[in-house]
Amino acid sequence: MMPTAMGLAFAGFAALSLAMDRHGEQVLGRRGLPAWQRRGLRVAGSALLGGSLTAVVGQHGWGMGLIVWTGLLTAAAMALAMLLCYRPRAVPMALAGIGIGLVVTWVGG
Amino acid sequence: MTRAGLAAASLRARLPPGAELRRVGGILLRVAAGVFGGYGVAALATMLLSVSLPMPRAEAVVTATMASFAVHAGAMVWAFAARGAWRAAGGIAGAAAVLWLSLLMQGR
Amino acid sequence: MKDGFRQSMAWLHTWSGLLVGWVLFAVFLTGTAAYLRPETSFWMRPELGVSRPAPGDAEVALRAMQGLAPTSPSWFIVLPDERETTTRVFWRAGPGRGGFREAVLDPATGERAAARETMGGEFFYRFHFQLHYVSVLWGRWIVSVCAMFMLVAIVSGIITHRRIFKDFFTFRPGKGQRSWLDGHNVAAVLALPYHLMITYTGLVLFMLMVMPWGVERAYPGDRAAFQAEAFGREAARPRVGTPAPLVPLAPLMEEAGRHWPGARISRVNVTNAGDAGATIQLVRADSERISFNAQSLTFDGATGALLQARGENRPAAEVRGVMYGLHIGRFAGPALRALFILSGLAGTVMVGSGCVLWAVKQRQAALKRGRVGFGVLLVEHLNVAAIAGLPLAMAAFLWANRLLPTGMTDRAAWEVHVFFIAWGACLLHPLLRRGRRAWVEQFALGAAAFALLPVLNVAVTERHLLASLLGGDAVRAWFDLGLLACGGLLGALAWKVSRHRPAGAGRRGGRVPDGAEGEPARAPAGRAAPAIAAATDA
Repeated sequence: MMPTAMGLAFAGFAALSLAMDRHGEQVLGRRGLPAWQRRGLRVAGSALLGGSLTAVVGQHGWGMGLIVWTGLLTAAAMALAMLLCYRPRAVPMALAGIGIGLVVTWVGG
Repeated sequence: MTRAGLAAASLRARLPPGAELRRVGGILLRVAAGVFGGYGVAALATMLLSVSLPMPRAEAVVTATMASFAVHAGAMVWAFAARGAWRAAGGIAGAAAVLWLSLLMQGR
Repeated sequence: MKDGFRQSMAWLHTWSGLLVGWVLFAVFLTGTAAYLRPETSFWMRPELGVSRPAPGDAEVALRAMQGLAPTSPSWFIVLPDERETTTRVFWRAGPGRGGFREAVLDPATGERAAARETMGGEFFYRFHFQLHYVSVLWGRWIVSVCAMFMLVAIVSGIITHRRIFKDFFTFRPGKGQRSWLDGHNVAAVLALPYHLMITYTGLVLFMLMVMPWGVERAYPGDRAAFQAEAFGREAARPRVGTPAPLVPLAPLMEEAGRHWPGARISRVNVTNAGDAGATIQLVRADSERISFNAQSLTFDGATGALLQARGENRPAAEVRGVMYGLHIGRFAGPALRALFILSGLAGTVMVGSGCVLWAVKQRQAALKRGRVGFGVLLVEHLNVAAIAGLPLAMAAFLWANRLLPTGMTDRAAWEVHVFFIAWGACLLHPLLRRGRRAWVEQFALGAAAFALLPVLNVAVTERHLLASLLGGDAVRAWFDLGLLACGGLLGALAWKVSRHRPAGAGRRGGRVPDGAEGEPARAPAGRAAPAIAAATDA
């Protein structure tokens, strides 16, 4: 459950960051996404974060779950921050990898 | 001395004497009010809550004591956020006075 | 007014963080190390084999205590578990706070563990909340005061951070002061819930010491009554004077098994052993729930009758128990503990980068004024010793553990002396090697010290990495690998600092002396591969 939740959190944060000017430019190479795309990214990002919370709470219950989730968010956010700083073009690849991983887990599990 | 240094020195010379002293004094007053006054306010609040919260006595003590750090932190933020050093000290002193009076009345 | 408020909070944040920054750095780093207390202790006792907890451990320990401290009024026995492979015992040998003695026993035989005398991971654990060389009370007060300043720093930091969401993921290396601020913000914001939690719960741990006034007001002069009502902690039964042997433990353990099916007993506390007024308390293992409030059963030591069952607490006491448990983190499994360690390191980076940021700002301002004062030099000097010196001292502690002769008197105390001697040397070193050189050398020496520990292991013990891997000793193997990783981290830091080119050096008034920090731009510890020290802008 932990890798799934971590992957979802990373993806969620990535979506949220893409909705921001600075990081959108770093990753996509152009500024100023239209407003509807930003909104979409924010909604998707929040949904993915919610998904990671559900995954964790489902396994650990609410008390422990919230604790694990906040720790997990820290790790995912830090990983994203470092990627955005040093290898922004790798972010889409990372997202693709996470997507594949999630599908494989869902199909296999 | 560089040009910047000379400019700063002459500026200080043009300000009323004691402005620097007032500024430092203000900071010291805020620190005293926030750190020590704040502790006093937190202690008084803990005492008051320990005996007036609507729960069993031991529970009230535990709750009040756990909350005391938030009170102290809040007092320190107030001591530095208030518009003037005297206002800061006054606010802390006022809160302490109110708590102390409430304790006196409670004790009766 | 809003700007004025932000500004005043910025001032408060800087000063509350700064005044205690060096102590807080040490508290955070040793506290993070304390998450691995049992593993550290196991590594530092290479003579011990891997042992698995067995049901008979409690009986063995009791028998051992009969031999060690037959007349002591209180015995505290901590049984081994998956992480802690020794039985630790404490007993009261005299009155007052200093009257406790302790020993580490082999769980299977009850003999003193046939291992070198060492504090093990206990040193880092105890240091982080009560320091060393000062009385326990003073140490705890100092750390509590620093924790209070930390809380204020966090709150004022949140208020003053203007673009907390916009800058959430922002880290721009190679831009001098801006980079330091970015690093400080990232380390602080991305683990903010943890920092708030660990600071507030840390304060709550000692709340009855620093804020006893509620107890005093509600239970004047009668602390014991408060303890009894709040936490169910009954006053100790007095000695009766009639000798009576302790009942066998097995039936008591069975009864505990009926109360808590499937649970494990972690502690056995005995009072007045050998007397008719004896009690035996069986405490359930903490690791099974978040709250630290122990569930326990207290039996009459002479008859075996159940006297009291504790553990169902009322809400406020339970909240305190949960806060306690969150801070200690013993409930955490390996994955969660790794996350805690990550967050603890983030906290360490937050404090350290804050200290360096301030020194950088001060030096900038001093260069503008044209005069670098004593204050700036002092802060820069202390930064090196506090930040680069501490990891080096920790490595020295581990080196002492391997090299000090096993039969030496006060061996455990001397391991600690070596820690402080090394740290003291780090304090003096920047006097001889000014500026950046001091940083590079201390980091590099720390890197070497950590990386060579596994090598030293090969030379002086049988528990080296290869042996651990072959023998299935996962704890020691991981620990050795972890030491190598620490060495790598410190080495990367040393490398980054040595490669750094100060921004705008020579462009501002006055020549920047060699090695002085103009605008250092280093990535926060280890979370980035050594990046190219980019050309800095004006």
